[in-house]
Amino acid sequence: MVDFIQTLVLGLALGGVFALMGSGLSLVFGVMRIVNLAHPVLIITGAYAAYWGFRTLGVDPLVMLPVAAFILAIIGLILYKLVFEKEAKSAKFTQMTVLLTFGTAMIIEGALGTMFTNTQRVTSPEYATDAIFIGDVFIPTGQLYAGIVSLTIIASLALFLKYSRFGYAIRATTQNRDAAELLGVNVNMVSMVSFVIGIALAGAAGSLVSFVFSFFPAKHWEWIAILMSLVVLGGMGSILGTVVAAFTLSVVAAFVGDFFGSTWSTMTFFLALFLVLLVRPQGLFGEKPELA
Amino acid sequence: MAELLEVSNVVAGYGDGPAILDGANLTVNPGKVHCIIGPNGAGKSTLLKAIVGMLKVRSGEVNFKGKSLKGKRPDQVLREGICFVPQERALFPKMSVRENLRMGGFLMEDKAEVERRIDELEERFPILRERRSQQAGTMSGGQQQTLAMARTLINKPDIVMLDEPSLGLAPKIVREMFSIMHMMASEGITVLLVEQNAMMGLKNSDWGVVLDLGKTLFEGPAADVLGDPRIQELYLGGKKAA
Repeated sequence: MVDFIQTLVLGLALGGVFALMGSGLSLVFGVMRIVNLAHPVLIITGAYAAYWGFRTLGVDPLVMLPVAAFILAIIGLILYKLVFEKEAKSAKFTQMTVLLTFGTAMIIEGALGTMFTNTQRVTSPEYATDAIFIGDVFIPTGQLYAGIVSLTIIASLALFLKYSRFGYAIRATTQNRDAAELLGVNVNMVSMVSFVIGIALAGAAGSLVSFVFSFFPAKHWEWIAILMSLVVLGGMGSILGTVVAAFTLSVVAAFVGDFFGSTWSTMTFFLALFLVLLVRPQGLFGEKPELA
Repeated sequence: MAELLEVSNVVAGYGDGPAILDGANLTVNPGKVHCIIGPNGAGKSTLLKAIVGMLKVRSGEVNFKGKSLKGKRPDQVLREGICFVPQERALFPKMSVRENLRMGGFLMEDKAEVERRIDELEERFPILRERRSQQAGTMSGGQQQTLAMARTLINKPDIVMLDEPSLGLAPKIVREMFSIMHMMASEGITVLLVEQNAMMGLKNSDWGVVLDLGKTLFEGPAADVLGDPRIQELYLGGKKAA
C-alpha cells in the first residue's frame, strides 16, 4: 500500500510540471492553430535563464521564474513578428507551422549550444535535493514546489481566461475567429498577445524544469512527443484537458516505471499519443475534427 | 421618408477573384423587414458581407444615415449601428449562453449596462435564462438562432442583418424566428434578411429585393414582388398557384 501511494505521489508531483509545460503549447495552438514544435526548446531556454541567474548571481530559480517568463515573452514577440505574423492568413498555415517551428527549434538549439555548451546542467537550490516525509511516503520538495507553482500559474491563467475582458476575447477567438471579429474583437492583437503569453509560460516552466530535470540544448527532442501526447489527449487547444492529461499520464508513467523499470515509463506518453490519435483524435475535451 | 441605408452600384468580390456583386442597389427604410431573394450565387450573402466590411467594396457607395461605410472594418460598422448575423450564426460553441450574450456587448465600455441588458433579454426570451449556463454549441438549431438574434439587441442597433436565419430549421421554428424579426421591426429596428426560400421570406417581409448575377433586378413592397408575374416565373417556382 505504501508503495502504491508512493508511486502515485511521485506521478502527481511530476504531473504539475508537465501541466505547465503543456499549457502554453495548448494555448498557442488553440488561438493561432500553431503546432509549436519549438515549445520544448523554449522551455529549455527558460531553464538556461534560470541556470544563468543561479550560477552567476546566486538567485533562486523560483525567484528567476518571472524573469525567465519575461525574457521568453520578448523572444516570443520577436518570433511572432518574424516568423508567424505574415503567414497567419495562409490557408495552409497550420501545416506550415510544423516546419516553421521545427526550423526555429533547430536554430534555438544551436544558439543555446553555442552560448551554454552541450553539457548537462541543473540548478541545485537546497530544496531540490530535499524531501518531506509523511509517514513512510516521501515527497521530493523540488517537485512539490514546482507542482504547486505550476498549478498556481495555471489557475491564474484559467481565471484570467474565464473572467477578464481579454480572456473573453481570447476564448472567443479560439472558438470562432470570424464571429469574434464581427463583434469587435481585434483578433490580430489577441493572436499576438496569446502567443506571447504561451511562450512566457514556456519560460516559467523552464525555470521549474531547471531544478526538476537535468537539461542540455538537445533535450527538447525528448519532450516534443511527451508534450504533444498531453495536448492531444487533452484535446488540442483545451488547457483544462492538458492539465488533466498531464496528471493522468504522469501517474500512469510512474506506475509503468515501477512495474517494468524506469526506461519504460516514457513509453507511456508515446503509446498514449498513438492510441489517442487512433481511437479518439479529438482527445478528452477537444472538438470533433471536421470531415471535409 | 429618408433612407436609412443606401447601397448604390456596389461592385465586390472575394480576394482578387471575380466580382460577385456587379452593380447591386438597395434601399433600406427604417423600421421594416426587408428580404433579399435570388438564386444560388446571386450575391445575396456577398451583399451583406460587403455592407459590414467583411469584403472590400471595389466601387459604388454604401451610405448609412448619410455617412459612407466604405472601407470600414466590421467592428466600426457595428459601432455605427449595424449588427450582422452570418449564416453559421457566429456563436461561441464552448461558451455558455450568458457568456455568448456578454460577447455581444464586447465593445460597450459600461459592463454593468451590458449585464442589465442581458437581464432584459432573459426576461424577453425565457429560453435564454433557462439555458444560461449551458454551452451554446449543445443547444438546438432554433435555440442557437434565437441566441444569435437576441445577442444583436444588446448593442441596440439600428439595423439587424440576418443571413438565412431559417437555414436548417423546422417550419414551426422558422415562424418563431420571423415573429422575433417582426417584434424587432415594431421596436424600430430595421431588419434586413437574405432568404433562400423566396416565397416564405417575402410573405413575412414588408420590402423585397430581387438580386441575380450580382445586380439588383427589382425592389419594392414585398407584396408587389410576390405579385409580379415575371418574378413569379423566374424566382418563385413557376406560375402563381391558384
